[in-house]
Amino acid sequence: MKAVAVKILESFLLILAVIVFNFVLVHLAPGDVVDALSSGGLGDAREEQNELIREQIGLDQPFHVQLFTYVGNVLTGDFGWSPIGNKPVLEMIAPRIFPTLLLALSALTFAVLIGVTIGSIAARHPTSFFSAGLTVFALIGFAMPVFWTGILLLLVFGVWLEWLPIAGMNDLRLANDAPFVERALDTVRHLILPTISLGVIFLASYARLSRASMLEVLQSDYIRTARAKGLSEGPVMIKHALRNAVIPIITILGMEFGVLLSGAILVETVFNWPGLGRLAFEAVLTRDTNVLLAILTMVSATVILANLFTDIVYRLVDPRIRIEGA
Amino acid sequence: MFMANKAAVFGAGLMIVILFVSYILPLFFSADKFAYAGKRHTAPFTDGGPLLGTDYLGRDVALIVMHGGSTTLEVAGFAALLIVTVGALIGALAGYYGGIIDRTLMKVTEFFQVLPGLLFALVVVALFGASTTTIVLAIGVISWPPIARQTRSEFLKQKNLEYVKAARSIGASNARIILLTILPNTLPVLIVQATLTMGAAILFEAGLAFLGLGDPDSLSWGYYVGLNRQYFLVNWWGVTFPGLMVFLTVLSLSLIGDGIQDAINPKLRGR
Amino acid sequence: MADKPLLSIRNLTVRFGTFTALKDLSFDLYPGKTTAVVGESGSGKSVTALSVMRLVTLGTRAEIDSGEILFQRKDGSEIDLIKASEREMRDIRGNEISMVFQEPLTSLNPVYTTGNQVIEAIQLHQGLSKQEAYSKALEMYEMVRIPRAEKVLSDYPHQLSGGMRQRVMIAMALSCDPKLLIADEPTTALDVTIQAQMLGLMKDLQDQTGASVMLITHDMGVVAEVADDIVVMKRSRVVETGTVYDIFEKPTAKYTQALLASIPRLGSMTGKTEPELFDLVQEEDE
Repeated sequence: MKAVAVKILESFLLILAVIVFNFVLVHLAPGDVVDALSSGGLGDAREEQNELIREQIGLDQPFHVQLFTYVGNVLTGDFGWSPIGNKPVLEMIAPRIFPTLLLALSALTFAVLIGVTIGSIAARHPTSFFSAGLTVFALIGFAMPVFWTGILLLLVFGVWLEWLPIAGMNDLRLANDAPFVERALDTVRHLILPTISLGVIFLASYARLSRASMLEVLQSDYIRTARAKGLSEGPVMIKHALRNAVIPIITILGMEFGVLLSGAILVETVFNWPGLGRLAFEAVLTRDTNVLLAILTMVSATVILANLFTDIVYRLVDPRIRIEGA
Repeated sequence: MFMANKAAVFGAGLMIVILFVSYILPLFFSADKFAYAGKRHTAPFTDGGPLLGTDYLGRDVALIVMHGGSTTLEVAGFAALLIVTVGALIGALAGYYGGIIDRTLMKVTEFFQVLPGLLFALVVVALFGASTTTIVLAIGVISWPPIARQTRSEFLKQKNLEYVKAARSIGASNARIILLTILPNTLPVLIVQATLTMGAAILFEAGLAFLGLGDPDSLSWGYYVGLNRQYFLVNWWGVTFPGLMVFLTVLSLSLIGDGIQDAINPKLRGR
Repeated sequence: MADKPLLSIRNLTVRFGTFTALKDLSFDLYPGKTTAVVGESGSGKSVTALSVMRLVTLGTRAEIDSGEILFQRKDGSEIDLIKASEREMRDIRGNEISMVFQEPLTSLNPVYTTGNQVIEAIQLHQGLSKQEAYSKALEMYEMVRIPRAEKVLSDYPHQLSGGMRQRVMIAMALSCDPKLLIADEPTTALDVTIQAQMLGLMKDLQDQTGASVMLITHDMGVVAEVADDIVVMKRSRVVETGTVYDIFEKPTAKYTQALLASIPRLGSMTGKTEPELFDLVQEEDE
């Protein structure tokens, strides 16, 4: 699979490019870490001390040396020190990764499953009221600001109806040594509203997209062949139509991952979800640049890997690409 | 054709109302929007209280929402202009010249497409400060790739058509062909994209402002939702109305964009 | 014409909204014979085929207005395909009546191997195990003279030529030993040399299996080559029916005469996906 090897190499280069870009961005910004953090002394004395610190942490080195050091550090997992958390950035980030991935994947699964189902049903009945309503629903889904949807869901289901918890990933009253199943169920309850808030933007567009693609597939000759074979509608839809209809959706999934993780920042902030997005929000408030840069790098890398992954899945689903690319 | 589309007409009507509320109404209600207007957390539609109630400081929610529109619309408007200009230019160059220029520009496009938009904007604003210019630039720099792709594919389609060959045969320069010959023919597509981009930019600005990255003096809609968020348990109207304005504005732009799309290409209708 | 007809279409009318696609259509198909349904583009040939399969109403706005289609089933009973339940139709499709379409390039599902699609049909109707169905498919591929049959079973459609894909379609259609094979312009999309091969193959297979064939075509050259009986259609109606000798020697309808006058050589329609209108045809009704 030469094509896949090339893709993997390209993905690695892209990650590298993101790291370099981050470094350049920091360099272009006015002032440096030392200015922002130094507190000792006044006037010349302070400046003198700052120079000393700069020398110590390598800021007096030429640009390219600093760049190589930075890239090397990041690639070995060293994102520097967080003065706010008073520990290495990596240690601040690590516990936040799982909650964010959980939220993102849950929202994506929700959007794809429900979206494709709705879209397929609408395509089966293209002239129905339901099908026409789908376009309106898609526009509304796109137009709702994620954070606003989140707050409204909290108000309705968390505050007024009291069906679901309003914040966090676990109930604070839940003992730390509670059995795994109990903890997991509790997390699922906390996950429902954030998943819906984040998923709804994509749900609408996937429903619309899969409707269009399903309509096209259902007109195709091979669906007629499948029916002429004597297959009932179930297998015709599920085996023959669906797999062809999801191909266009798979191709955009990877790209959408960035939008998904951006949305996660807002949703995590609204729901106090202890993920990377919530950390990014806190880091903005405290101007903790190192943490922000590390999150940007990690999230970009995740998007790149998600693209790589969907590219491979796409090849598996569509033999035309798989075999020509071989 | 545009007028035949009921949804689009509704969208346009909605936009006129929003522009009226954001630009004309404030002329008649020029009272200080930060002034104390009544008891804190007065519910909306109560006798004697302001129409949409008061917020956690006793300020008039309706007044602030009315004044917040212009900020949101201007940031999003400038950002959309930047996005369409940069996107169209890069897409045009890539599509017209092809070859190594195309491959390089498309790699750059891909690079900006994998950066998560909101997070990138957070970093930029954290590094360079939360001025309107930084926010417009941050939104602009990260959002042009889809426009570039669209413009590129239009240019690929158009550049070998007869009218372009004709222009070339009379000795028109490349710059002239790109800007004056092909670009006008991609305008319908670009206008639709610009409308949708404007909607996306409004959501982007609202998201950033909600996280507190905005001008505290102008209180854009997203920013105001962010301020009121802490009090939503006792004050649902403070978060609901400014968010509703964002929603309605983006919705009206989507309806208009869809309407133009249908008018240009009726075949795609209902898709 | 002493035999009882295998398939008898009686007064069939099909509408698409306000447009009448078939008007009061009647003709018979006899066991073991090849009946060519000919006519210009839009005359209702394909709608006839899809009506017999009762696929015409699936996913379209078409409605079968009136009429009956009587078919002699494998078990000796007679069934009206218009009134049959959807369950009975599924049992008949691909099993007792099967169909080969015009476009071999798009008629196979691109995401499954050809073997998968043929085995699916065999398992559906014959209750065989996966292994037995595979052997049966292999046998069918050899019967339609697909070289390196075993490899082609595991190939995807896009890896095969048009002619090869049409052979796969024919193998699939014949795999359950149907009593009637409907072939809708089966050679139109193919190269001229492949066309001749394909017609020869279909003739041989018909001799081997004893199936009746309803051949839908606009190519009178093809008709002369393989047909026993002819049904001439124009504008949703049957104009004339008869044996190939009757029609070719003394065509009664003016329209048929015009059709015959325009007989092209075999293969001259290659590359044209649509039948052409015949210039000689008068526009007044017969």
